[in-house]
Amino acid sequence: MLRSLAFLGLALAASPAFAQSMSPMRGEVTSFTDAFAIRVFPSNPYNQKIRIDIRVYDQNFQPVNAKIAPNSFMLGAEASRPVLVVVPFDGNNERKVRICTESVPFPNEQTQIKAQICGKFLGQRRF
Amino acid sequence: MKYCMLTTALAIAAGAMVQPALGATGNVTFNGTVAAICTLVVTNGSGTMTASPGLQSLSSHNAGGSPGTVTITTTGNVALSVGAPTAITVPPADITPITWSPTYSVAGAHTIAETGASSNLSTPGVDTVTVHLAGTKTGSDIFAAGSYSATVTVTCQ
Repeated sequence: MLRSLAFLGLALAASPAFAQSMSPMRGEVTSFTDAFAIRVFPSNPYNQKIRIDIRVYDQNFQPVNAKIAPNSFMLGAEASRPVLVVVPFDGNNERKVRICTESVPFPNEQTQIKAQICGKFLGQRRF
Repeated sequence: MKYCMLTTALAIAAGAMVQPALGATGNVTFNGTVAAICTLVVTNGSGTMTASPGLQSLSSHNAGGSPGTVTITTTGNVALSVGAPTAITVPPADITPITWSPTYSVAGAHTIAETGASSNLSTPGVDTVTVHLAGTKTGSDIFAAGSYSATVTVTCQ
C-alpha cells in the first residue's frame, strides 16, 4: 500500500513547481488502495519567513481527516517545499477534496487577512 | 607502386580538403507547461475599521477606515472569494450581536465591483483585490468602547 501511495504521489509531483503559492491546483488520482496520495508544493512569495498551514476540506469546506506531512511549518522567503497528503476514501469509490495552503503573513493587525490557496483534487478508487 | 598509391592518397585527401563544408542543420524543440496557478500576496494586511457617528457601524468604509489589499496573479480559470470572518474579538462590554460582512473588489486585468460573492477569473492577469470588512448593529444596539479584530480569509481556488 505504501508503495502504491508513494507512486501516486510521485506521479503528481512531476508537475512543475515554481514561485507560486501552491502547485498543482488541479489533479486526478487513481488508487488501488483505500486511500490516495497527493503531493503539493506550497510556496512563499513574500520576502520574509511566514507560517503556513495545510488543510484538507471537502466540497463544502468541511475538514477532512487526512494525513498531512507536514501540516504546519515555517517557510523561508521565496521558498517552496513538498507536502504529502494522504486522503482516505472512507468507503466511497471517489472523493473530491480541496487541499489548501493558508497563511496570515501580517498578524497582530485589527483586520487580518488570511490568504488561502486551494487546489481541487479528485481521487478515484479502482479494484 | 608505393609512390603511386601515396600520391593518389594525397591527391584524394587534398581533394577532400578543398570541398566546401556542407552546412549541417538541426532543430531543437522546446516544450513547456504552465499549470493553473494562483498567487496571493497580501500587500496591506493592516485593514482598519472605524465606527460611524451613530455607533451602529464598524467598518473599513467609514471615515478614517482603510481596507486591506491583496495582489492576485493567476493563469485564469480560478475562483476568488472571501469567507466569513474568523478569530473575532470584541471588548467585554459588547454583548449584543454583530453582523459581519466581508466584501471585496477587483481592479487590474479584471474588474469586479464590490461584492461578497464568489467571482470567476477565467483569464490570466494580475489584479489588486481590495478587501473590506463591516460590522453592523441593529435596533438600539451600538458598539462599545474597546478593541475589535477579525480575520478575513481571501480564497483562490
